[in-house]
Amino acid sequence: MFKRNFNPVKNLLVSGLLFVAFGLTGKVLAQDGAALFKGNCASCHKPTTEVLTGPGLKGVRERWEGRENLLYEWIRNPQKVIDSGDPYVKALVEEYASAGIMTPQAVTNEEIDAILDYVEAYTPPKREKKDDDQLAANEEGGSNATTWLLVLAGILLIIIFSVAGTRRSLSEVLRAKEGEETETNYTYWDTVKQWMWHNKVLTSIIVIVLLVMGAVDTWDRLAGIGVYKGYQPEQPIAFSHKVHAGQNEINCVYCHSGAEKSKHAGIPSVNVCMNCHKAVSEGTNTGKEEIAKIYDAIGFDPETKTYIEGYEQKPVKWVKVHNLPDHVYFNHSQHVTVGQVECETCHGEVKELTVGKQNETLTMGWCIDCHNKTEVQMAGNGYYDEIHARLTTKELKKYLEDEKISVKDLGGWECAKCHY
Amino acid sequence: MANKTKYFTGLEELHNTEEFKQAQENEFVEDLPVDEFLSDNSLSESSTGRRDFLKFLGFSVSAATLAACETPVIKSIPYVEKPEEITPGVANWYASTYSDGFDFANILVKTREGRPIYIKGNNKFGVAGGAVNARINASILSLYDTARLTGPMAGGDEISWKKADKEIGKKLTSIVENGGQVRILTNTINSPSTNAAIDGFVAAIGEQAKRVTYDEVSYAAIALANEKTFGKAFVPSYHFDRAKTVVSIAADFQNAWLLSTKYVADFAKTRQPEHGQMSRHFQFESLHSLTGSNADVRVQVKPSEEGLVAAAIYNVIAKAKGITALAINTDAVNARAEKAAKELLATAGESLVVAGTNDVSVQVIVNGINQMLGNYGTTIDHTRATKLGASNDADVMQLAKDMKQGKVDALFVYGCNPSYALPNAADFNAGLAKLKLSVSFAGVADETASKCQYILPDNHYLESWNDFEVITGELAMAQPAISTLFATRQAQESFLKWSGDKRSYLDFIKSNWEANAFGNQSKYASFSDFWNYSVHNGSTRISVSGEALEYTNNYLSEAVQLINTTSKSGGQFELKVYPSVAIGNGSHAANPWLQELPDSVTKVTWDNYITMAPKDVEAFGFNMYIGEKKPASVAKITVKGMTMELPVFPLAGQKPGTIGIALGYGRGANGENIGKAAFQTGEYGGHLTDENGNPMPIGVNVYPLATLSNGAFDYNCYNLSVEATDKEFPLAATQTHHTVMGRESVVKETSLGTFLSAPKETYNAPNTLLVHEGDSMVHKDVKEIDLWEQHPVENIGHRWGLSIDLSTCIGCNACVTACHTENNVPVVGKDEVRRSRDMHWLRIDRYFSSEEEAVREAGGDFDYLKMENPEDNPRTVYMPMMCQHCNHAPCETVCPVAATTHSNEGLNQMTYNRCIGTRYCANNCPYKVRRFNWFNYKAYKKFTEVNPSQSELGRMVLNPDVAVRSRGVMEKCSMCVQKIQAGKLAAKKAGEPVKDGDIQTACSETCPTNAITFGDLNDKESEISKKSQGKRAYSSLEEVGTRPNVYYQVKVRNINEVEA
Repeated sequence: MFKRNFNPVKNLLVSGLLFVAFGLTGKVLAQDGAALFKGNCASCHKPTTEVLTGPGLKGVRERWEGRENLLYEWIRNPQKVIDSGDPYVKALVEEYASAGIMTPQAVTNEEIDAILDYVEAYTPPKREKKDDDQLAANEEGGSNATTWLLVLAGILLIIIFSVAGTRRSLSEVLRAKEGEETETNYTYWDTVKQWMWHNKVLTSIIVIVLLVMGAVDTWDRLAGIGVYKGYQPEQPIAFSHKVHAGQNEINCVYCHSGAEKSKHAGIPSVNVCMNCHKAVSEGTNTGKEEIAKIYDAIGFDPETKTYIEGYEQKPVKWVKVHNLPDHVYFNHSQHVTVGQVECETCHGEVKELTVGKQNETLTMGWCIDCHNKTEVQMAGNGYYDEIHARLTTKELKKYLEDEKISVKDLGGWECAKCHY
Repeated sequence: MANKTKYFTGLEELHNTEEFKQAQENEFVEDLPVDEFLSDNSLSESSTGRRDFLKFLGFSVSAATLAACETPVIKSIPYVEKPEEITPGVANWYASTYSDGFDFANILVKTREGRPIYIKGNNKFGVAGGAVNARINASILSLYDTARLTGPMAGGDEISWKKADKEIGKKLTSIVENGGQVRILTNTINSPSTNAAIDGFVAAIGEQAKRVTYDEVSYAAIALANEKTFGKAFVPSYHFDRAKTVVSIAADFQNAWLLSTKYVADFAKTRQPEHGQMSRHFQFESLHSLTGSNADVRVQVKPSEEGLVAAAIYNVIAKAKGITALAINTDAVNARAEKAAKELLATAGESLVVAGTNDVSVQVIVNGINQMLGNYGTTIDHTRATKLGASNDADVMQLAKDMKQGKVDALFVYGCNPSYALPNAADFNAGLAKLKLSVSFAGVADETASKCQYILPDNHYLESWNDFEVITGELAMAQPAISTLFATRQAQESFLKWSGDKRSYLDFIKSNWEANAFGNQSKYASFSDFWNYSVHNGSTRISVSGEALEYTNNYLSEAVQLINTTSKSGGQFELKVYPSVAIGNGSHAANPWLQELPDSVTKVTWDNYITMAPKDVEAFGFNMYIGEKKPASVAKITVKGMTMELPVFPLAGQKPGTIGIALGYGRGANGENIGKAAFQTGEYGGHLTDENGNPMPIGVNVYPLATLSNGAFDYNCYNLSVEATDKEFPLAATQTHHTVMGRESVVKETSLGTFLSAPKETYNAPNTLLVHEGDSMVHKDVKEIDLWEQHPVENIGHRWGLSIDLSTCIGCNACVTACHTENNVPVVGKDEVRRSRDMHWLRIDRYFSSEEEAVREAGGDFDYLKMENPEDNPRTVYMPMMCQHCNHAPCETVCPVAATTHSNEGLNQMTYNRCIGTRYCANNCPYKVRRFNWFNYKAYKKFTEVNPSQSELGRMVLNPDVAVRSRGVMEKCSMCVQKIQAGKLAAKKAGEPVKDGDIQTACSETCPTNAITFGDLNDKESEISKKSQGKRAYSSLEEVGTRPNVYYQVKVRNINEVEA
């Protein structure tokens, strides 16, 4: 029945039911649809009707009406479906010939449903341009205020000096009038010295305060040597994280795939860029100019949509943003895969940034502060289960009773965890 | 009874030498390196005044501060197209094979971002049982040698491959057309495809081309003897794991004798006391070799007596078996050989006799012994023969003569260095100049290559495809771990190209395997499976067919006559030249890791020397004690019309009246650029040069002392004259004392009988201290006395530990090079080693036994001075010593800045970036395992020649997971904490507990005898946990109360019934 009398309403109903069922069994939840979409699809498809590398997924169920099983199969094994010779699929492949055949995805039917549900329910967020402008204005305002203060202070100083000058000339004139000896050659400095001599306590206090302020400032500056928070160097390609990770919702690890398995998160190689940019040759902000740079690197002709044979490839020389000293060992996968730390925790809202920026100080204090606060993600990890099983005596079992086990508790403050 | 124990700081105090008395008056006993800086002449040349200096100082401080504020721009350049298997930051491992004709091992190569950085044995597949030696381990550095040729050369100029091929082709054609003779000179090649490629080249030329096989260190006598005994020239495979009695007549089979890596791994299996029985090993030798130092019974014989010993053993066995004895008087050695012969008889069929003497007559008798004992088919396998040692020594000598007489027109040299190593190298060199065409495939312009018209540099073995068959039917595969660094070309490609074969060498190997190997196995149904699995595993096994051997004793009488002559030709001094542990046959002479590797027995680095029995040294009046301030005396030896001068090292155990000199030194004597580390360096850096301005080689080339005798190179030399000179020469040894001075808490040893029958207290008594308890004095176990509180590491999380079995440790040094590679340990050069500033994190202490120790043990009146003198034929113990990761570490309590601390996993952590270099920790360490960075080894000019990290290329071998330490900080063994962290991370990612054995330190995974075990002491099921509780487990210097996490296992010798 489900197959024969298919209609959108019923479909919605059924998927709704499915949704409820899975919601109850806890197998595939609705929010997983979003995550699955980002993880598997977002690099080539948009949840709207807009075409990225592949077609936009909005309305995909309608388009594949009557071929539901084929759709599942298509997502998992496109080649097989092409070989089956379905006319719709054939037309689809021809239409997107330049993008190549879709990459097979390891997803179950339930997961596909969750993705499609997410796509159907998706409404593009309204561009909050106002907020952006506001933010920019605020930032500008911040810097303007300081300037204005300085200008004001300057004007005030000029006024003070001129008033003082006038006062002195006037008093000199007065003295001359009264026939007194004129105290000529008094410089400003002499006046100040005189004032200081008469107000010793106040002068001492001011001097001490200034010295202390100077010392504190010097200390801060010295401590800031080598700390490059906010470092945002210019990059060879005006790549925008905002467009890719923000608007197109591409998962961070799609490009920085090392983050889950290596010490380095890694900068994507050009062939990763080409997964999408084989089809997308014009950007929203910079037009064709910047994307042409990756074509130049790998040797791709956007006109014919083919790779140039025998091309001498030119690697892209990115500028590294996050630099740790050589005597520190840092491993991304330890934090991302085992610690389940979100990328944003250290790298900030990259989705809002155009150019990569160092969001934190990356000092040792910052590291160990987090190691002190962060709980170890132990649930369901056999490694920790076995370690806990070793705590045999009652005395040792107390370690398990604590509600919270921080990284520090497990030795996260020890030197040789990071320095070797 | 008064306590006789007296403590002294070193031998100098004991002997109360002049130097010591003088030193005592100084504030610092050791010279501070201040002199060194001040002696720098450039300093006094400076015209900078004090005020200027202060100005500069002020300016540079402010400039540095300002510069530090500038953000350094670091470029990060990703791949354009990332290979699928590479993830930056994650290591890739490739199975491959090392085989240079001298050493062989199935290896695993670790690559990071495409760079090979580490080699370990492949313990899952292959014939060598996962064993590697120090030379193979360190061979990775030769990939990044700055002396490597970057492209083909013609007469010293670079040319293109195209031009080289064209010119060589043209010359070769004209030679062949004019009826000229072509020779292809190679070492023993056990690669079937390489042989096929060369044979193809020979066939393409026709009858005018011939192959000549020549190994620098030849085993030709074995094959020749088998030809005489069995009518078939072959080198059999030896199964040391099946032998209960092993008798070796001067065969250094644990260091460098045929397939030594396999023998080491096999033999270790029979050396486990826990199995209830151990093999017994007799060694007859004049040198104190690595193998001899590990023998249960070591018998000293002169080189001229080696044949006699074989004959004596033969006669004892023949008598028992009712076979005609050899007609030779063996009275001189009968007493020494009898025990071994009887043991052999008792274990007939489960015994093995091998001889290192490259003399057909000795080998024939050894064959006779093994035949009588029925060892063929049990411990000796002839069907799966060893494809090593196929050198035809007579042929190559003839070739040199022919070349000199102009009978040869073209020569291709591959895999050997005859200009350096041939006994008649002078003939060869003269002939080389007469050739119409001479081509070398050497990777560096070595002695032979630099004299050839063309050098077509071969790929490094880590850049090459190749196959090997070191044992018949045991195929091994070498796959490239990196693409070629330079414009080199594999020699096999050249041979294929010149013989008109259009295939690449890889395709050639494939088709060769498909045709010859695939059919001889049944495991894989398709060739692609067979090939892929063979590449993945690095090896595969195919079936072989064998014929029965037919023994004949026809040659015995002739052999006996030869032996009789030899035994009388000894003269006053006899010499044996031998491949050393570090340098081997000399092909690794430019490898600084190996040059700095202390010799297993002498502990001398960076040098070539004469080993002489202490008695002889004394008789000559040479220096007996060699240390930082005591150079060695130089002796002049004259033999076969050649004289050479070398420093003398008194070596306990050397047979009086004999001397030994290592082969492989004196490389690059005519200024050939074979690599910076092969030459002597001055005290302040730079090569020492001779009168021609050429850098001075290290040591002397003793290859010319070999004689062609009866078809094989004899490395024994007789009728030597040794004279004293008034010269002295400094030697750099990492250990200058010889015995353990009766300190049983350092090394413990026992006999197998005692171990099996007596309670633990007999051979592994706990250490006690006499303490007050109430009114009385009682002996208390040191474990019960404690100054410190326990670290809370028992039962909580991990507690990493090592166990080192002194029974199976043979002192081969493979762990030292592995540690060196893994942990970026700097090379410091001879002068620094001499000043005891060597940087090895892991050292192997070698202790000889002393007669006085036995006196002390028996409670007699003993003398400390005598205790330092080893016995004439001492027993040896090797003790790998690294940071003991003490739970109560004395170093931790004295660090003023807490740079060395204890981790909750039982590790003693060293934090370089916190260290301020007070060196308190090193002074407080009872094990003396902490190393101080006196210099910036990676940049200071003193180390330019020796430290590979000073070149861009050499730096590529550094392990990116380990920091390179800077000047002024302390460093030491970290128990490979980077590997522990990586192993834990892998387990956490997989969500599984750490499996015992998954995490290994560099030393434990490299040890060819599995003497080193690493693991988690808190994992009750782990091997280390069980070993640490075992009967043999003890801690070194237990009475100090440091509670190490490194356990040693009592050395057990199989000597109960035959105590010599």
